[in-house]
Amino acid sequence: MATTLEQQAPGPRSAEEERLLALRKKEIRDRWIWRLAGYVFFLLAWALVSRIVGDNLIPGPLRIARTIPELIESGRFFSSFGATLTRIGIGFGLAFLIGIVIGVLTQSRWWNGFFRDAVTISLVSPSLIWALTGLVIWGFEPQGWIFAIVMTTFAVVTVNVAEGIRALPKDLTDMSRAFGVTNWRRQRDIVFPFLAPFVFTALRFGFSVGWKVTVLTEVFSSNEGIGFEMRVASQLFRMDELFAWAISFFIFALVLEKLVLQRYERKFFRWRAEAST
Amino acid sequence: MAEIKVEGLSKEFGVGEDRVVALENVNLDVGGHVFVSIVGPSGCGKSTLLNILSGIETPSSGKVTITQDNHDAEPGYVFQAARLLPWRSVMDNLLFVQKDRSDETKARCQKYLEMVQLGDKVDKYPGELSGGMQQRVGIARAFSIEPDVLFMDEPFSHLDAITARSLRRELHEMWSQTKKTVLFVTHDVGEAVELSNRILVFAKGGKLEDDLQIDLPFPRDPAEDAVAVAKAQVLRKFEELDLIAS
Repeated sequence: MATTLEQQAPGPRSAEEERLLALRKKEIRDRWIWRLAGYVFFLLAWALVSRIVGDNLIPGPLRIARTIPELIESGRFFSSFGATLTRIGIGFGLAFLIGIVIGVLTQSRWWNGFFRDAVTISLVSPSLIWALTGLVIWGFEPQGWIFAIVMTTFAVVTVNVAEGIRALPKDLTDMSRAFGVTNWRRQRDIVFPFLAPFVFTALRFGFSVGWKVTVLTEVFSSNEGIGFEMRVASQLFRMDELFAWAISFFIFALVLEKLVLQRYERKFFRWRAEAST
Repeated sequence: MAEIKVEGLSKEFGVGEDRVVALENVNLDVGGHVFVSIVGPSGCGKSTLLNILSGIETPSSGKVTITQDNHDAEPGYVFQAARLLPWRSVMDNLLFVQKDRSDETKARCQKYLEMVQLGDKVDKYPGELSGGMQQRVGIARAFSIEPDVLFMDEPFSHLDAITARSLRRELHEMWSQTKKTVLFVTHDVGEAVELSNRILVFAKGGKLEDDLQIDLPFPRDPAEDAVAVAKAQVLRKFEELDLIAS
């Protein structure tokens, strides 16, 4: 049997491995300390500004911490969040599908020419244009906000998917062809996993843009949802409620990023983490 | 018995002033339990020939037939780089090229991974393995489909000398056990002499210039006099054909 110099029996950790492990732990600890320090700093700065400017104009963090439970007790909190999330789900879901289809189509130079400027326009246009257009044409009907969300977010998905398809690894597809692998298996085992990081980026950026435009459309053309609540709060000069909605919104976005997107990302891209360790 | 027949094969890339002839009127007949090396300078069409034989590229003219007992033969391929799916485990990389995922198929994949000494690495991702180990997975993948013929395109050229030598020995042992027809592209004459029964010498412009028989017993040690003499003879042939200068 041939000698294999690369294979070593697993044994106790060497001093070098122990040192690297300790360094890694320290890095994680330091990162958490800085993250917490960031939160403390911004909360203190917010409290200070609130005191200087006045609690009525900029309510401090403690007051907001009391207002959020009040909103929850009133029953408006979950119904408004539910309405906004439903809109994002429908609008962004549709934009995501359209974005992927156009992204795939743009591999053909004819379709690329057909959609090219439309994608650029969607990327650079302020979402306000689409929100107002939707309001004028459809009023408070769902088509108005669906139109605004789709027009603002589909291009983010298209650009990412098209980028991924352009970068498809030819060496792997050639390999699969040499072995006579079926087209379906090639899609499932090469194309989809390769495109997954691009789709995740599209999902993350598209969703963040989708949030903004959804709330914006609710400010203009809705009688429910977070945007609507913020409009009412600002008109009635209930600054604590306005801030409470905004902060709840931030917290939700953070939770979504950390608990949902990042978790799925870790699951999908476990092979990267394994390789880097 | 597997048989590779190549008749009047030519391949050109580009048109007009950019036209490059990669292969010109190549005729070839390879069959049975033989290890055939294809050597020649860079750009002589060695890899193009393998790509055409394996169906990755199409010829400009000529005919290629690869048969096993008068049926279409199934080829396996080992590439210069391992070309593994980084997001699939070692075992899944082998299963990717199989027709099914039955227990029998998995056992066969396991058998070939053990032959390349990676039986305990089935759940690892390619990124967790060294370059030599990745190339071993590539070799196991090609053998695991139990092909009738095996095409290998400079599979050890990216590896360090010690790993390459160890892999050559393993490859030779697998070839002896499985009795495949192997077509092996290399730019290393010593490697060709160590492994092959037959060496096809290609020149720039894609012409098959010579077909040499190496009648020495296996296994061959590069340090042995007879192997060194055979290598010197092949290199002399290179000089006669003016290939070293080119």
